[in-house]
Amino acid sequence: MTNYRFAPPYELPSFAFTPPPELQGGNPGRYPIVIVGAGPAGLTLACDLAQRGVRSVLIDEDNTVGVRGASSRGICYAQKSLEILDRLGIAERAVAKGVAWSLGRTFSGSEEVYSFNLQDHSVSTQPPFINLQQFYLEWFLVDRLQALGLTDLRWRTRVTQIETRNDHVRLQVDTPDGAYTLEASTLIDATGANSPIRTQLGLATHASRSTDRWCITDVRFTHPLPTERWTWVDAPFNDGRAVWQHLMADGVWRIDYQMPEDADPEAISQPEVAGSRLRAQLGPDVEFEFVWIGPYGYRDHLLDDFRVGQVFFIGDAGHVVSPFGARGGNTGMQDAANLGWKLALVEQGLAPDTLLDSYSAERRAACVENLQVTSRSARFLAPRSPAEHTLRRAVLALARQHPFARALVNTGRMSMANDYPPSACLPQGARSVQNLALPDRQGRPTALMHLLRQGTHCLGLWFAPTTGARAEAEARLRQTGLPARLVAIGGPEADLHDPDEVLARHLGLAPGDSAGTLCLLRPDAYLAATLPACTADTFIHALRVATGHAAALEPLTT
Amino acid sequence: MNTEPNIPDPDGFYAALVQAHEGLSEAASADLNARLVLLLANQCGQQAVLLACLHAAQEAAPATPT
Repeated sequence: MTNYRFAPPYELPSFAFTPPPELQGGNPGRYPIVIVGAGPAGLTLACDLAQRGVRSVLIDEDNTVGVRGASSRGICYAQKSLEILDRLGIAERAVAKGVAWSLGRTFSGSEEVYSFNLQDHSVSTQPPFINLQQFYLEWFLVDRLQALGLTDLRWRTRVTQIETRNDHVRLQVDTPDGAYTLEASTLIDATGANSPIRTQLGLATHASRSTDRWCITDVRFTHPLPTERWTWVDAPFNDGRAVWQHLMADGVWRIDYQMPEDADPEAISQPEVAGSRLRAQLGPDVEFEFVWIGPYGYRDHLLDDFRVGQVFFIGDAGHVVSPFGARGGNTGMQDAANLGWKLALVEQGLAPDTLLDSYSAERRAACVENLQVTSRSARFLAPRSPAEHTLRRAVLALARQHPFARALVNTGRMSMANDYPPSACLPQGARSVQNLALPDRQGRPTALMHLLRQGTHCLGLWFAPTTGARAEAEARLRQTGLPARLVAIGGPEADLHDPDEVLARHLGLAPGDSAGTLCLLRPDAYLAATLPACTADTFIHALRVATGHAAALEPLTT
Repeated sequence: MNTEPNIPDPDGFYAALVQAHEGLSEAASADLNARLVLLLANQCGQQAVLLACLHAAQEAAPATPT
């Protein structure tokens, strides 16, 4: 029997437990914002708040980064997530450590039947995707939190009980130094798929579990392969089942094998068994060492509401989908970015509490979409009946020759920033604006996310405003104290220039016809309103609507 | 969805369809039909019409399976 080699485990940081005031004779502290769970969603939210100058308490039961017992759960970070990281100041670090990619190829047998290039639709300064072990992402976020210095990080602290009161939530926690109680005016549940908080509140999750089984093999080898996302619908080297292959940081490949439905998780993850799968794929002569072998199944669930009183659910605590298309961790980070600025404005008294309701409305709609998209991929990958197998065979056979059928080949539709449907705060609905860089007055490139880095404000991207109109709008802004900053794109007093109209086109404006139009960007870089022939009045009204101060009494002009 | 006669040579088309299935196993026939459905769907190219056709096909199933 061959002896397979394992790489030494990753060396992860270890964070010390610091006894909080509550354990030093203090009364239960009352904190404006308590986040439970330091995974990608919880850390992103804490960091988003800290970047805005807002303090929070972040509680985690572990004392390190990553998922206990798993080498890395998430690996793919989407452009929108990277743009959020750019606003938080750590995108460069993540991109430098990770593996950027934009090209995906899908094979049936040994033939390519579908490919996509995400770069085709990108105008962002961030790549469409990077692959990076989840614990690195978390590590960078913790480092950033510590640098910002506004987050009370409480490691090795496990929530044992919560009690919702009228205007706050009381938490019992357990620590190495004993139990204590603290109070949160706003509680964020970011504890993940098995949330004890959600369970304790008795909320329906509408869960369903798939019988599809997979086994991850994280492995290092020297065999040269392209850094593209390769997927097989029916790989000849995996008994005609699906296989995923992509490269992460540190030269570690993640190869994910679909297994028979009745596969025994223990048997399929034996090093000898995993090794023979790899041998079949890589050939007899390639040397490799395992980093991690992990069998898994998947499930989905979705809460009816991501807000219950003063408790907000972000990330897997609120929603779980199958892994196809990287819509798990990315969705959690985007939940955080949606909620962060709203909490900041409400906390600072600059927006009413009702603005927080829009978090659930917008992000739940995104999750409904993600659930539909991922369920369709899962079904393509695991046909449930002879008829479904027949249909899939037909798609694959046609895709070898005919372009139209390639669009039906579905091994996952990659995570994109979801559009939001029309709502009280978004009468036109909203879509995410990419992180374009435009030259400023001195010709220096300025990325939109950098204009959103300081404080919490909307951006009024105003194409060639007249001097008078802008001065009036600035005066009204000062007078109302509404959180916004005006940026003139071209015109007599340009802050930024859009010489090739890349921004105008990206915002959906007709080329050559953008003068006078104002595009209102929220702090999370969603386009809240497009206002042609904008005046101070229409701008202030749109701003009030976007920040929850006013209902859109009359439809905003489109 | 157009349910009025639209095929120029109905008998000729039906004969070609039968001919294509001749000598095929049940599984191979099912595969052929599936490929044909996908090709025809792409010719139509209108989501609402495709869904109407799907519905009409379901509705036309005999009450008792034969």
